[in-house]
Amino acid sequence: MADALTRSMRASHVLVAILVVASLIFAAIGVVNGDTFYLRLGTEALIFAGLALSVDVLLGYTGLLSLGQALYFGLGAYISALVLMVTPSFWAAMGATFVATIAIGAIGGFIANRVRGVYFALITFGMAQVAAKVVYNARTLGASDGLIGVPIIKVDFGFAAISTASPAGFFLFTLAFIVILYALAAYLLDTPFGRLLIALKANERRVPFLGYDTVTPRLLAYVIAAVIAALSGALYPMLRGFVSPELLFFSTSGNAVITVVTGGVGTLVGALYGGILLTLMKSVIGSYTEHHLIVIGLLFMGAVIFLPRGLMGIVRPAIARILERRTKS
Amino acid sequence: MSTAIEYFQFVLAPQMLIGLVLGVAVILVALGLTIIFGLLDVINMSHGEFYALGAFIALALGSIGLPFWLLLILVPLVMLPVGYIVERGLIQRVFHSGERHVTTLLLTFGLGLVMEDAFRLVFGPNPHKPETPIVGAIDVFGVFLPLYRLFLIVGGAVVVALVALVVYRTRLGAMVRAAAFDRHMAASLGVPVQHVYAGAFAFGVALAGLAGVLLAPVYSAFPTMGRDFILMAFTVVIVGGMGSIAGVVVAGLLLTQVQAISSLYISPVWSDPIVFGIMVIMLMVRPQGLFGRLGHG
Amino acid sequence: MTTPVLEVRGLSVNFGGLRAVDNVSFAVARNRVTTVIGPNGAGKSTLFNLISGAVRAAAGHVLIDGTDCTGQTPNRLQAAGLARSFQITNLFFELSVAENLRLAAQILEPVRMALRPVASSRTTQARVDELLERFDLAGKRAMPVAKLSHGEQRRLEVAVALAGKPKILLLDEPTQGMSHGDTADTAHLIKSLASDVTVLLIEHDIGLVMSLSDTVIVMHQGQKLAEGTPEAVRGNPDVQSAYFGHA
Repeated sequence: MADALTRSMRASHVLVAILVVASLIFAAIGVVNGDTFYLRLGTEALIFAGLALSVDVLLGYTGLLSLGQALYFGLGAYISALVLMVTPSFWAAMGATFVATIAIGAIGGFIANRVRGVYFALITFGMAQVAAKVVYNARTLGASDGLIGVPIIKVDFGFAAISTASPAGFFLFTLAFIVILYALAAYLLDTPFGRLLIALKANERRVPFLGYDTVTPRLLAYVIAAVIAALSGALYPMLRGFVSPELLFFSTSGNAVITVVTGGVGTLVGALYGGILLTLMKSVIGSYTEHHLIVIGLLFMGAVIFLPRGLMGIVRPAIARILERRTKS
Repeated sequence: MSTAIEYFQFVLAPQMLIGLVLGVAVILVALGLTIIFGLLDVINMSHGEFYALGAFIALALGSIGLPFWLLLILVPLVMLPVGYIVERGLIQRVFHSGERHVTTLLLTFGLGLVMEDAFRLVFGPNPHKPETPIVGAIDVFGVFLPLYRLFLIVGGAVVVALVALVVYRTRLGAMVRAAAFDRHMAASLGVPVQHVYAGAFAFGVALAGLAGVLLAPVYSAFPTMGRDFILMAFTVVIVGGMGSIAGVVVAGLLLTQVQAISSLYISPVWSDPIVFGIMVIMLMVRPQGLFGRLGHG
Repeated sequence: MTTPVLEVRGLSVNFGGLRAVDNVSFAVARNRVTTVIGPNGAGKSTLFNLISGAVRAAAGHVLIDGTDCTGQTPNRLQAAGLARSFQITNLFFELSVAENLRLAAQILEPVRMALRPVASSRTTQARVDELLERFDLAGKRAMPVAKLSHGEQRRLEVAVALAGKPKILLLDEPTQGMSHGDTADTAHLIKSLASDVTVLLIEHDIGLVMSLSDTVIVMHQGQKLAEGTPEAVRGNPDVQSAYFGHA
């Protein structure tokens, strides 16, 4: 029998399914109209949703607010760009990102997990700031210009291949990629390991008395979140053909936090809807004024005060109730 | 021997003076930050924007002809009600939620975003440099020092001394420290805790505004001016000990000297990582910082 | 003579110059109820904190089944068979009753199960159901702990401590703030536990202590004042002046 946490995770799955269907319709319309701009924008929204997903794994499940998740997003983007400029292989780029992120994430996690609460937030903020400054000044990484001229590649599955230059093709590929990241995170959080993370968030001090070590799970959560952020970031140069230090800046980390908080902390799916919502708002408001940050900032403040569970905090329980009624009848 | 003196005079001393000016600037910004944290337990992510607000208010009032010396008093006075309203109207709304640290941090982060973009809307993205209130320079042991920077160092010291005096030597300060130590105990002793909280936030914000007035003639006023300062200010607050005034002064002077002197020998690119590295080591070996918290001995 | 399941030798700790626990030694017999009593501030809860690894002792040893476990972390002590409850309810308040128990019971699973869906573990599920029945919480299984009554939270506190099948269970005032009827029910429950668990208890209700305990340890100003059967302790003149005299 499924318990409450499993049931609300199932409600998230339903919401993701709805999102996938909507995305397929969006892609079909895009193909029919021969659109490039909106499909590319949608792809970018999904990539940043992946970053937000990693913030939610930490904030929504482990109770750790990271203000520097852009560090790993940028790390993934730069490694991917560097690898692709040498050898245009998707799998090589992803493999290199994966391995490097585990190593660097373990070091970052070791440092950041020495402290709790606001100190954790500030230390992650600081680590990302330092990394951004270093990259911004590193000539070998193109300094403030970043790396340009990342080639178009074909993502080769053996039986089929998708070109990153195809707007609809790469949009659908990114959709599948992000949904897989979501599914992995959702699966993990419904295991004893994931439940332990939830317990750490709920009452960290009780956990050792149940017989669990708290250091290792927290470090693992940190590394997993780093990997999710980095793999999402690795898609960025494939989409845009360049990477720049802005990807590591605080505005990137901050946007991910805004995405999760407005979308719904601790729902995973909130990161995806929030990411799309934020991109949508930016482009709609951006067509009227360049000062979209005022509007987004005010909406975000409103969400923090009036809607602490975010958008999905309202929608998801409703879905969960419907699911429950259906299983009972 | 003479080369050592020359090295000091022409290389080391000017660099240390630049560091000192920066140190005073950072201390002024960090002072409000540490008071707000020490008392309210709130990480004010919009503190840098309040610093910018002070600079912009001074810029606007200066452009209608008000003299700089009047602004030094006027701007903090204007900022006080602003801070008071922000605390009562925004921060108190989420102050009693279970995850106060996170929610207040997020709220002030949002506020900072809005303020920064509002500055861009009103004043444009480019820097404005107010006229330097004191022109001229003097020779300090052979080191060239603009008079305004000398004023900044002295003025900064006076401000720090006054703040310490208010917090540690007045009845008002005693109430603030009592509320920081145990709010329920303080409330039962008749301390108006709600007003003390809002007042302390307003005071911290007014200090940031004062820093804005003082520093704009040196570093100019521009929308993102707060962002550039805030990491250093946070670092100083953490290394000094969250909520400690003495800690801010010592850490502020120390870290800016490390930054200034290290940039002589290695690329300035690495000065931020060095300072940040000190913060990380501090957090790992002595998380409470050099000095304890406000109200906690 | 058999090795005692829990033995404490010369345990001491200071808090700011105050000797909160001062050279306390005792041994606990297997599957018995041993109760620690004493006036407020006698050092009972601090003693529990020392035994359970929540606070590091300045001196002394804690032995479980004859193995020295001094200075080990709470999670290592749990692995050695020692679990505890808290005087101030210390649970996962936003999670359901069943999830609190499940979290405590999942420690019994082998590590390889850590990455299998929770719904797939039947043994843990069965353990949760068993505890829900035994502690009369089955009707509240899906309710968040925060919404339980005080008495129910206190019961769950004990159930969570028991879920990991410890050899030794430290219960810190399990009846704290309970109504009279609830206290009697809890007493029955604790008595029934002692068939397969060694219970070390802190309790204020003297009637309950006398009826429930096999051994009573009296603490006063951080020191062990007396130890013996309830009757022997009741008759001890030192105890009468130090403890019952105050009551």
